[in-house]
Amino acid sequence: MRLLLFLLVVALVSAASQHEEVVGDFFSRSSNHTNNWAVLVCSSRYWFNYRHMANALGMYRTVKRLGIPDSNIILMLADDAACNSRNRFPGSVYANPGRLLDLYGENIEVDYRGYDVTVENFIRVITGRLDSSVPRNKRLLSDAHSNVFVYMTGHGGNEFLKFQDNEEISAWDIADAFEQMWQKRRYNELFFMIDTCQANTMYSKFYSPNILATGSSKLDQSSFSYENDADIGVSVIDRYTHYVLEYMENINKTSQTSMADLFAFYDPVKIASDPGVRSDLFRRPLDQVRITDFLGGVARAEVSDDDL
Amino acid sequence: MPPHVHPPNTALRDPSSLFYQKESNRRLIIAAYWVVLIAALPIWWKTTSIERLSLPSSRVNSQAAKQLRLPIEIALEDVSLVKHLQQELDQRREQSPLVWNGLDVTVQSKTENGSYTIVHDDNRVVASERRLTFPLRKTTVPALADTLTGLLVPRLNSHRVAHYAPRYRLAFTLLNEDAAAGDTINGWDISKAISDHLSPIFDALSVLHNFTVESQVQFHAPLAFSPRTLSEGVGLTPEDLTVFVNSAEWTLSSSVSNDPVLHFLVFVPSATRRPMYILNSQGEPTSANSFLLPQWGGIIIYNPPAEDTLQSPMRPLPPTALNTIFSKFGKQLLALLGVARLPAGVDNSHTGILTGWQLDALLRRRAFENAAEAAETLQSIVKLVNQIENMPVGQDVRGDVQDSLDALDRIYASPIKSLNATLQHSANALTLASRAFFNPGMLALLYFPTEHKFAVYMPLFASAVIPLLATAVREIAAWRRQRREAP
Repeated sequence: MRLLLFLLVVALVSAASQHEEVVGDFFSRSSNHTNNWAVLVCSSRYWFNYRHMANALGMYRTVKRLGIPDSNIILMLADDAACNSRNRFPGSVYANPGRLLDLYGENIEVDYRGYDVTVENFIRVITGRLDSSVPRNKRLLSDAHSNVFVYMTGHGGNEFLKFQDNEEISAWDIADAFEQMWQKRRYNELFFMIDTCQANTMYSKFYSPNILATGSSKLDQSSFSYENDADIGVSVIDRYTHYVLEYMENINKTSQTSMADLFAFYDPVKIASDPGVRSDLFRRPLDQVRITDFLGGVARAEVSDDDL
Repeated sequence: MPPHVHPPNTALRDPSSLFYQKESNRRLIIAAYWVVLIAALPIWWKTTSIERLSLPSSRVNSQAAKQLRLPIEIALEDVSLVKHLQQELDQRREQSPLVWNGLDVTVQSKTENGSYTIVHDDNRVVASERRLTFPLRKTTVPALADTLTGLLVPRLNSHRVAHYAPRYRLAFTLLNEDAAAGDTINGWDISKAISDHLSPIFDALSVLHNFTVESQVQFHAPLAFSPRTLSEGVGLTPEDLTVFVNSAEWTLSSSVSNDPVLHFLVFVPSATRRPMYILNSQGEPTSANSFLLPQWGGIIIYNPPAEDTLQSPMRPLPPTALNTIFSKFGKQLLALLGVARLPAGVDNSHTGILTGWQLDALLRRRAFENAAEAAETLQSIVKLVNQIENMPVGQDVRGDVQDSLDALDRIYASPIKSLNATLQHSANALTLASRAFFNPGMLALLYFPTEHKFAVYMPLFASAVIPLLATAVREIAAWRRQRREAP
């Protein structure tokens, strides 16, 4: 903490320095970060859970479109819907009944696939406790200047989320993992989003600072799928994620839209469940938190006239 | 119930005469089950408990309470001004204690080795290795104190500086936006450019970092956005700069190692989009052609001059451009690594390489950062282990924690003058503390509420233990009855 304070003071002092011409003075902006990371998890396998793969891939496409580089995205897909033998459109995953947009696209980097998606691996990625042989692109290499976005989807219940049909992660596990991140200064701010049944129970145990959390449904409520595609034969996306992604489509890299706007857009009637928001651990007012603070790319660039 | 009486005159044998129905045998068999069960308890306990070695928490806490202090000795040529300068510096330290945190500055009249010297020169203010020339007069002492502040505790943008690592990889990439559009830069003499411009920096910073260099040339590097069209050429707005790097389509560095990477890009706009300007916030073109992405790297936009294009549509980067680009890369590298520039008005005696003042300021800064982060990490480990009850602590974690503490102790023990040794120990302490924190064995077992444990153990044990208990109770009751009825 002392170090952070020290750095902050040094930074404040240096911002006043007359030698540095910083384009886009970032102190006028609210977030104090330089890079963004995203961990996107689809925890269920099997063809009939197609929609969970589509949820995660839809989110992947959005964060990538908004500027988070692939090297900063950890994508975990518990099954491979694109190459499933039941897929009438091999190599493609669609999130809408008209099959307008192929989420698999041309350039996709799945970091953990199939049986690699386990509770243990998820916790290892979050806490950084990976074997030294694990390559860079499978690691969450965030630091005290990173804003981290964690998105999870799958089948869940009161205070747990099922992984792979044979194990569960509990709300305590995630809370402890985030605390370990915080203790090692692995995030500046963290945005947690979860789409599963009784999702809001999953963030109820968090206790680390600077976490903003949102979920699709409250205790004893199910989260429902959005629509079926007759040719694919299964539901293609969940309602909550569908509406969040729909909202994100209007956001571009330089949008000023805030988290408060996103949360105000939640419509329990359309979503068919009560999405929740938890902001008591978060220190900034939500109307000043831009969506791109978490889902965007580089926070700022510095132009200098020749002599740095 | 009357004791069992075998009916006389029957062909069947009396069961109590069978050896395996003998009372003592039956009881021995039942007892054997219990002996095995009880004997296995310690094994079950041992195999299901988590190894949690104790950590030296009191040492960690006392270490965290310590503040690293580094002395700075300044020798002033003019003896009469010593006191005055000391006062001025003390005043500045009081005004901004956080900036001067951990530094003890003393001004002396005589030179000792390891200290900084200030000598009189009426005409020039020049910083060389650890020397500074300054017009020494009573009236210039406050200005001297300001200059010294700028040299000893330079102001830095902490968001720009990359997190300390003992090893970095530098990835140099020459990107042609679209070689198919015509005019292409197809190569560069990068080894010469590196040895001319960057090797001196690598040497100067060898105490702090090891560098690995990789380079590549790419011929198709599309932008993910369309730059604004100007009356002549195109322009990049400040917002465009933040999304300039098209990481989805540019492969900028290999991922062969886990060392952090700093990227340096030369971007050659497609022949149809030249010249490419960087616009200011009002949308007017500026003369700047380079920018920095904090903690990530530097980018230079190279617009080939029109006369070159006429010569050959396919050519390497001309030497003059290479020189300008790499001297700029050198500056960007220094900025990313946290080397401060000399304060305004101070000249460098030998251009290009950093002075001892700058290097020392960086060493001190990194030593403070590393020591504080190491102590903080150790504290976090102790705190987390206490907080999360099923987090294992193995021998290797304890070993790393102890080694890290030893390294921290050595910082305080190391000879005061040797900044290099202080930095090495602090870096060591940080590396070990981080390794302990990130030890793969420290993964806490997943949380199981008590009811989960019952749910897991019940089907397994209930079916085995209930018959055992029932027979034991029955046998004990029978034995007690026998004892009571015995004459």
